[in-house]
Amino acid sequence: MPRLRRFLNAANKKGLGFRVSGFGSDRTLAYLLLAPTLFVLLALSIYPLVHAISLSLQITSGGAARWSLQNFGRLFSDQFFLAALSHTLIYALSALTLEFLLGLALAVLLNRQMRGRTFLRAGMLAPMMLPTVVVGVIWRLMLNPNFGAVNGTLKGIGLNTTALTWTSSPRLAMLSVIVVDVWQWTPFMFLILLAGLQAIPQEPYEAAMIDGSSGWQTFRHVTLPLLKPAILVGLLLRTMDLLRVFDQVFILTEGGPGFATETISLYIYRTAFRFSNFGYAAAMSFVLLLITNIISAFYIRILQARESG
Amino acid sequence: MPFRRAHNNWRLCLRLEDLAQAGLTMRRHLQYPLLLAVLIATLAPIYWMLTISLKREVDQFAVPPRWFSFTPTLEHYSDAFLNRSFGQYLVTSIIVSVCSTFCALVIGTLAAYALARLKMPGGLNRKLSLWILSTRMFPPIVTAVPLFLMMRDLQLLNTRLSLIILYTGFNLPFVVWMMRGFFVEVPRELEEAAMVDGDTRLGALRRVLLPLVAPGLAATAVFCLIISWNEFLFALVLTQTDAAMTLPVGIAGRVTQYEIKWGVMSAAGVVAMLPILVFAMVVQRYLVRGLSLGAVKG
Repeated sequence: MPRLRRFLNAANKKGLGFRVSGFGSDRTLAYLLLAPTLFVLLALSIYPLVHAISLSLQITSGGAARWSLQNFGRLFSDQFFLAALSHTLIYALSALTLEFLLGLALAVLLNRQMRGRTFLRAGMLAPMMLPTVVVGVIWRLMLNPNFGAVNGTLKGIGLNTTALTWTSSPRLAMLSVIVVDVWQWTPFMFLILLAGLQAIPQEPYEAAMIDGSSGWQTFRHVTLPLLKPAILVGLLLRTMDLLRVFDQVFILTEGGPGFATETISLYIYRTAFRFSNFGYAAAMSFVLLLITNIISAFYIRILQARESG
Repeated sequence: MPFRRAHNNWRLCLRLEDLAQAGLTMRRHLQYPLLLAVLIATLAPIYWMLTISLKREVDQFAVPPRWFSFTPTLEHYSDAFLNRSFGQYLVTSIIVSVCSTFCALVIGTLAAYALARLKMPGGLNRKLSLWILSTRMFPPIVTAVPLFLMMRDLQLLNTRLSLIILYTGFNLPFVVWMMRGFFVEVPRELEEAAMVDGDTRLGALRRVLLPLVAPGLAATAVFCLIISWNEFLFALVLTQTDAAMTLPVGIAGRVTQYEIKWGVMSAAGVVAMLPILVFAMVVQRYLVRGLSLGAVKG
């Protein structure tokens, strides 16, 4: 390949240059190549979105549908919806905080040349690549009160585990689903932050050393600011996933016991596919969409402010 | 780089500083124990499922838990995949993942090429790329209801085709975004040389560009396979019959039933997990980029 490039450069110098981008058909070709993708995305993303809007603005009474804002009005007085909203926020915030702090600590501590790092990375990839259903099965097995490995191990070191019924206890169920998400997704934070750390050039650190700054100062004033884009991207992607959580909770607790771990996505699912109330489900899904959009816009604004500043 | 000393409460800061300092100096001694602890915490639960799938019921319910000493048996695997319908779910999962990945790759790569190489007016390349990416950002539950109704109207409920169509759509933005990145990294001159030699644009794409990005294409394919293989919500909503169910839905259906066959569950879980682990090892190098849709690096 270098030979080819050398030949081209030589050809250009001798005035034999060519311009391929002048082809008039390029633009047409571009539209042709893009058409299938745009068609599929319009059919499977945009059309459903529009359809969802119209569903949410209609109510069916006596077989006839009519336009109404009733679905949205009902949201604010629906105790279950408000509870699901608060469960989702508690879940997302706790898991996000834990994953970020653990991921950052691990990335900082393990960011250096050492033996076994490829092995570590391979091992840490495993949980986040697994089907969430399998993660659910794994943790149903781990957290089973009678023969699960968690309680078994605790019993082994002499603790009383009769109260630790995990997913079937109203108080511990939320903790259980949070722990499972932390187990599955901390490696993701770790990998993103590690990639960010490794992209930081050596010079600022050398300058800091010459200035005689301590390890903590270097971390606070050099590492953190330079790591900010990676941090924001990691937080953004995790937040989006956490707010829409469905699979893990569905498998682990089905929103229960009672209503203790019902998240918005689960409540929407139940409303639509158990009670066939599609309009109300669509209205709720717009609230979820709105929340995720506001939050991601917020992250992206910080990210862009950083890039331009 | 100048440092600001803007600590209001210097006492607290000093203590924090000392702590952090100590932590940073200790990390050399800590790193191998830490490494080991992290690996155990990550892998032990997965290993636990593996053991349950290989244990006779006596060993499954043993207290304290038996991590290593048990008589292995394959009875749960034959029970799950021969006596029960998990074999069928597995076949469905394979068909749906492979077909949707193939469709998404073909359609998406063409679009990615157009976005990377063919200049359109009005900054359309950039705008379209971002728009395509943004379609992946909706919470899936938002489109679940309308897509369910759409498939119902098309009489595609409980068919593999419905899942293939949907997963193609889900994977498309991902393929476009990844492949666009790979295309941009290849210098234009290589294709231009081929075109000077009389090749058409698409000919140059096929004969010059695609071989160069082959590793990226393979990585993208593996990601799509993983995404389709793992998808749960839409498979749950759209398929309720044994003939159309994917492996995750089949497993979930059994987990939430009253009497749980733990051995069968775990055996199915292990089979659902194995291809993913193999794939993950294959694409390790691309993983962070793929998971963050290229947002971290370039």
